[in-house]
Amino acid sequence: MSVVEVKALEKTFVRGFFRKRTAAVRGVSFEVERGEIFGFLGPNGAGKTTTIKMLMGLIHPTGGSAKVLGDPIGAVRAKRKIGYLPENPYFYDYLSALEFLHMVGRLFGLDAKTRERRANELLDRVGLSMAKSRSMRSYSKGMMQRVGLAQALMGDPELVVMDEPMSGLDPIGRKEVRDLLLELRDAGKTVFFCTHILADASMLCDRVGIIVKGELKDVGSLDSLLGGHVQHVEIHAQGEAALRTKLAPKVEELGGKLLDRGEGFGVELASTQQADAIVAAIIEGGGRIHELRPHTMTLEELFVRESGTKAEEMRS
Amino acid sequence: MSGALPRIWAIGLNTFREAVRNRVLYVLVMFAVALMAFSVVLGSLSMHEDERIVKDLGLAGISLFSIFISLFLGVNLLSKELDKKTVYAIIPKPLWRWEFLVGKYLGLALTMALLVSVMSAVLAAFVLFEGGTHGVVMLRAEALILLEVLLLVAVAMLFSSFSSPYLSAMFAGGLWVIGRNTAELAVFAERESTAESVSTLLSGVLEVVPDFHLFFVSGSNLGEGVVSIHGTYVDWGYVMSSAAYAGAYATACLAIAVFLFSRRDFT
Repeated sequence: MSVVEVKALEKTFVRGFFRKRTAAVRGVSFEVERGEIFGFLGPNGAGKTTTIKMLMGLIHPTGGSAKVLGDPIGAVRAKRKIGYLPENPYFYDYLSALEFLHMVGRLFGLDAKTRERRANELLDRVGLSMAKSRSMRSYSKGMMQRVGLAQALMGDPELVVMDEPMSGLDPIGRKEVRDLLLELRDAGKTVFFCTHILADASMLCDRVGIIVKGELKDVGSLDSLLGGHVQHVEIHAQGEAALRTKLAPKVEELGGKLLDRGEGFGVELASTQQADAIVAAIIEGGGRIHELRPHTMTLEELFVRESGTKAEEMRS
Repeated sequence: MSGALPRIWAIGLNTFREAVRNRVLYVLVMFAVALMAFSVVLGSLSMHEDERIVKDLGLAGISLFSIFISLFLGVNLLSKELDKKTVYAIIPKPLWRWEFLVGKYLGLALTMALLVSVMSAVLAAFVLFEGGTHGVVMLRAEALILLEVLLLVAVAMLFSSFSSPYLSAMFAGGLWVIGRNTAELAVFAERESTAESVSTLLSGVLEVVPDFHLFFVSGSNLGEGVVSIHGTYVDWGYVMSSAAYAGAYATACLAIAVFLFSRRDFT
């Protein structure tokens, strides 16, 4: 059974006096499997947060359905298995982090002893032990994010859902969050997070879903999404001038390029099959292969292609 | 329901903490105490009416400041959660939206019960200082004030579930003013000189608005003569029937608030 099962989920907002309709999510379907880190990617305003909020019971879908561990979204049984970190989290600033985690523990039905132990462990884990009894009014944005991570884990959830978990953290904090997410996966938890920071997604995700303008464009493992898109293959080889002369018409016939590379030469080809033929010809002609490098698509390039916007517009 | 109680308690305790850690609250309570202290000064200027003035002004002070505080806290109860986005972290936790709302209400009810009790204790001290007694009649009057405040909190919460704090304060405050003057409005509606359309409209309004006049009756004529904390006052039976009225009205307000809140999208 999938941990998250989303079927044709839709959300259309109706706003203003003239009841203007805006489709934020259009028939999104995907599944998140147990024990994986699933990255939900998309540019700003693509529908990532709306989808997550529907899964968390904050927004009512206008169509489709979704289940978390077999229970419909919004049900208490489903929520009991979820830990959620909202985007730019803000908590009751008149409470201390410890008091807030106790409150969350009460909502999960934990007894006082378990609450105390787990709250202290988690605050220690996110590096807030020194400030745990201080009112959150005095916390920085990064500290709030750490409280957010701790409260998301308070109920020992099977599924951890995070909306931009690295937001507001410095490089060390971001590394700590990455380590935490990997640790959660190693502990058998399922992690579902959305981000527009592709470097984080590349480093962490087993599978990703790319959402653009409310539509899911691609879902799959990074290997299947990127590995299947070899853009070109580059061969770096060495050989006599006669070999180059012999190769030139063959490379031209395949639509490739023969390039001068100092001591050796390079060949640029469109596919791995073409590269196989040229490699065989080089070896047969007495040449030596130094390097054969398939250039696959990066996540950023895939993202740009799917979203139809420029790379620089993706970064924020 | 048994599973819901700890969750309602968690939300209620948090609401209570929020309220008692709000400094504005202490300023308002201090004003109420200052009014009681002033009543001692006024009493000393009167002709042997010290105790009467302290009791009258004290009860009026408790009522007025409790109304202010309940309006202030009640209209902010939900809007603050939405403005500060704290609700985004709570609704995804294992609780139903109605539990959240009921917890918020009970937390505020607990706060108001504590405040009215503290102010009543201070008033009792002033009355004793004047050589009087803070008897069961005063307790009944204070219980009625608490019931009025608990009803007003539910009304404020209902408006807070769909409008801004300012509008909620205006609506709830307006209803309180109308509700406190139901006796006068009823007399006006029944007068022969009142146009029939106005009379019908007023009668309709009086059927719907909460009857806050029920809870502040000292000096009113309740059919069997004028009741007063200094003479014949309402009995516990009256207090209980008023409690039943406040409970029914507050439950209806909360039910509508739950309905509106459950349909809401937190974008």
